[in-house]
Amino acid sequence: MSLSNLINDWSKYRKGHEEGGYHEYEHMWGMSIDLNKCIGCNACSVACYAENNLAVVGKDKFEKGQGMHWLRVERYWDEPDLGEGRVNEFQQHGASFLPMMCQQCNAATCEPVCPVAATYHTPDGLNAQVYNRCIGSRYCSNNCPFRLRYFNFWSYYEDSWPAPLHMQLNPDLSVRDKGVMEKCTFCVQRIRTVKDTARMEDRSVRDGEVQTACAQTCPTGAIVFGDMLGMFNPESGVGETKVTKMWRKHQVELGKTKQNKRTPDMRGYRVFEFLNTDPCVMYLDRVREV
Amino acid sequence: MQNNEIYKDINEDLKWAQINKDILSSMENPRKGYWISVAACLALLSLAIIAEVYQYNVGMGAANLNWPHMWDLYIATFIFWIGMSHAGTLLSAILHIMNADWRKPIYRFAEAMTTFSLLTAGLFPMIHLGRLWNMYWVLPYLTDRGIWPNFRSPLVWDAFAISTYLSSSALFLFIGMIPDLAICRDNAKGWRKKLYTALSLGWRGDDRQWRNFRRTYLIMACFLIPLAVSVHSIVSSDFAMSIMPGWSVTSFPPYFVAGALYSGCAAIITLFILLRYYFRWEEYMTIAILEKTAKLTFAIAMVWTYLNLIEFCSVWYGHSFADKEVLLAKFTGPYAPWFWLMIFCGSVVPFALAFEKWRRHLPTMMVVSILLNLGMWLERWMIVAPTLSLSYHPIAHDVMWASWVQWFIVAGSFGWFGLLFLVFVKVFPSVSMYECKEMVLHRRELAHKEISPVMANNPGGGAPASGVANKSPGVEGS
Amino acid sequence: MKKCRILGLFGNFDDAFAAIGDFRNHKVDGITVDDVTFLSPIEHPDIDDVLGPRKSHIPKVTLCGAAFGITFGFLFLASAQSNFLIQPQGGKAIVPLPSNIVLTYEMMILFSVISTVIAFLITTRLFRKRKSLYSEKITLDQVAIEFEVDEKYIESIKGVFKEHHVVEVREEVQT
Repeated sequence: MSLSNLINDWSKYRKGHEEGGYHEYEHMWGMSIDLNKCIGCNACSVACYAENNLAVVGKDKFEKGQGMHWLRVERYWDEPDLGEGRVNEFQQHGASFLPMMCQQCNAATCEPVCPVAATYHTPDGLNAQVYNRCIGSRYCSNNCPFRLRYFNFWSYYEDSWPAPLHMQLNPDLSVRDKGVMEKCTFCVQRIRTVKDTARMEDRSVRDGEVQTACAQTCPTGAIVFGDMLGMFNPESGVGETKVTKMWRKHQVELGKTKQNKRTPDMRGYRVFEFLNTDPCVMYLDRVREV
Repeated sequence: MQNNEIYKDINEDLKWAQINKDILSSMENPRKGYWISVAACLALLSLAIIAEVYQYNVGMGAANLNWPHMWDLYIATFIFWIGMSHAGTLLSAILHIMNADWRKPIYRFAEAMTTFSLLTAGLFPMIHLGRLWNMYWVLPYLTDRGIWPNFRSPLVWDAFAISTYLSSSALFLFIGMIPDLAICRDNAKGWRKKLYTALSLGWRGDDRQWRNFRRTYLIMACFLIPLAVSVHSIVSSDFAMSIMPGWSVTSFPPYFVAGALYSGCAAIITLFILLRYYFRWEEYMTIAILEKTAKLTFAIAMVWTYLNLIEFCSVWYGHSFADKEVLLAKFTGPYAPWFWLMIFCGSVVPFALAFEKWRRHLPTMMVVSILLNLGMWLERWMIVAPTLSLSYHPIAHDVMWASWVQWFIVAGSFGWFGLLFLVFVKVFPSVSMYECKEMVLHRRELAHKEISPVMANNPGGGAPASGVANKSPGVEGS
Repeated sequence: MKKCRILGLFGNFDDAFAAIGDFRNHKVDGITVDDVTFLSPIEHPDIDDVLGPRKSHIPKVTLCGAAFGITFGFLFLASAQSNFLIQPQGGKAIVPLPSNIVLTYEMMILFSVISTVIAFLITTRLFRKRKSLYSEKITLDQVAIEFEVDEKYIESIKGVFKEHHVVEVREEVQT
């Protein structure tokens, strides 16, 4: 507890999100998901299960709502007339898919409400969840407007991976026990590996070097992942990445609740932007030929 | 036409020696009814222990919690118990500052009720945690890792506020009881005498002690009132500081405080009738005092009803689609029966308190007070559950009902509270003897009567040490 | 010059107050109303008029406790937050004033209450060994006047007591 620490840096510690915050960001990992390309195959969801040691909870528990799908593909039927009243799986007939994972909000509502500081914002622009600090109060999940946080209601590891299935577990991250909250981390274990390699080789991380499991698996290339720091901090040394180009192309900016777009071609939007949580995931709206 | 003689707050001819005798008799060896109540409370408590042990071992899924229903009856019951604690403060502290001396016979058990409901409420933040063995991490203590709890979180504010309130209430109860414990000490034998001698801290009753006592009591009362308001405002911040529709309501702090006073006053009426019946304290827990408490409850009920309606109005004025949906779901959705039961119990039933005939009829008051508390418990549940079943995102629309684990634990909390209260009434005086004497003094002054007849008079004989026949002035008979 | 203690029990307030009135009027030379200690089962509302104004120092201690609570509370919280820099952001500052104000308020009340209680225990001299002159009737329904004075005043005091219908007199000589 250092009083001098407080007195010296008082003004720095009083800065909030609107004034740039306290962190000096090293990266700003973000995503762009093109809903035109998404066919709802759920390969991304399965890849996430495999990569992050997610437990398959079984039909009963899933029906009760205790599933652990960090990346969920939501299905909406927004134009029922197209399907002539029939519920229809096909996109041309009104079905649309929305893959949602933790939006890594810059002004996350889940962060300030955790009583033990188990969730915080990293200098990478990620919303981190510290499993061993979590005491399971579940306030963060209640406060997430996107409902993207999942809780370990049971000790799933006890029967989710009977031998020899336990051999498939990813050794780069833990298997969570009951009572702990978890959510999408943008495959932070892959990010760490790439960053460590880059540091050892004394270079910066290249665009495309980090691939999240979902982006890697998507057959249509709907998910684009990358570092967006160059978009709002030109001196950061992070250049133009594919994801930055997507964001710029569709005129979606961080730190705004309402985007001004020049033309209607710009399909980019963020979910629940008006809530001012400043998500790092941009969706490109579907265009349907009618 | 009522005979107004019957409905006095206290009989001003009550002798002080009689007061001592009546209240001390409550601490004698218990009768059969007491042991039956203790057994019932222990049974409820054992249900809770079974359920909690099961839940501790297998995880929160046993409580039927799911995504998105992360909170349910535990949080609702937690807020219910914190709320119930407020009426003790209202009675002891607020009415003391307002010099409403009708509170004097009843505030002791109300203050005890405050302390015990806080002890009960304090269990729930532990029970609802997924990893409750780590719950001490919310407390700010120095670690070698330099990790602190997150002071921004309303749950940490809860930890601070509730521990402050519990310690302050317990101290307030104890300090206020010191003169009474001196009375118990002077009349006790055996282990009780040792206990009271230790607890009364050597109280002699001299003017220096009384003067400082009066000051201390008043200062603590003055601090306890803003503390009580802030505690329940902080507890309401668990919801008000969140972003969820139906929770992010600015009027939650006063709404919760009003609801707290409401449920506490109803609980006071329940305990009032039980204690009056069990210990035959008709002289102290008079119908007049019950009436005043009932009128106070009615006033608070109307405040609560107004704040409830205002919350609905503000949703109507705003254009937030999610808030409107949550409100309509409360009226017509799957929780609707419970919601309308809450409205009935909370806003319609209190009108029974507006009629003198029913206010004075004890069985009616017993039923009414229990219904009022049921309404308040339902209110807390209706705040937690409908919002979680809807929220902003359409995929998270899910209705969930609590499992037996949650119900057992909720029932057990009532057993725990009952147990604490039953132990209290047999070990400590649940009516404040010295304050009743003060009340008699004051009422006699108002009725222009001398104080001496109710004190020790020794009219005529008695062979006092001075050898002079004693005749106190102004005595007209005994 | 031995110190003596004397306790006179009275059956009601009027007799006792009349006796105190006599002492106030210097009926016994050398004894003033400031030597009187008055014991009672409750505090009579007119006691300050009878005994004269006597001070209580508790409010000062409460004020100190409150001031301490505010400063210590805020500095503790803000220092802890300044040292725990990865603490959750949520877009909020490291030392957020709204949260800190709430917690500082609670700490202020906590320290005020605790300091008041400690001051109470000290000023009422509660923890000291109880003086032996005491009667159980005081907690029942009698009041008492107590003196701790030189031996030579004892007889005159007793005389005043008897004039006002004292019920019982107890004496103790300190050795």
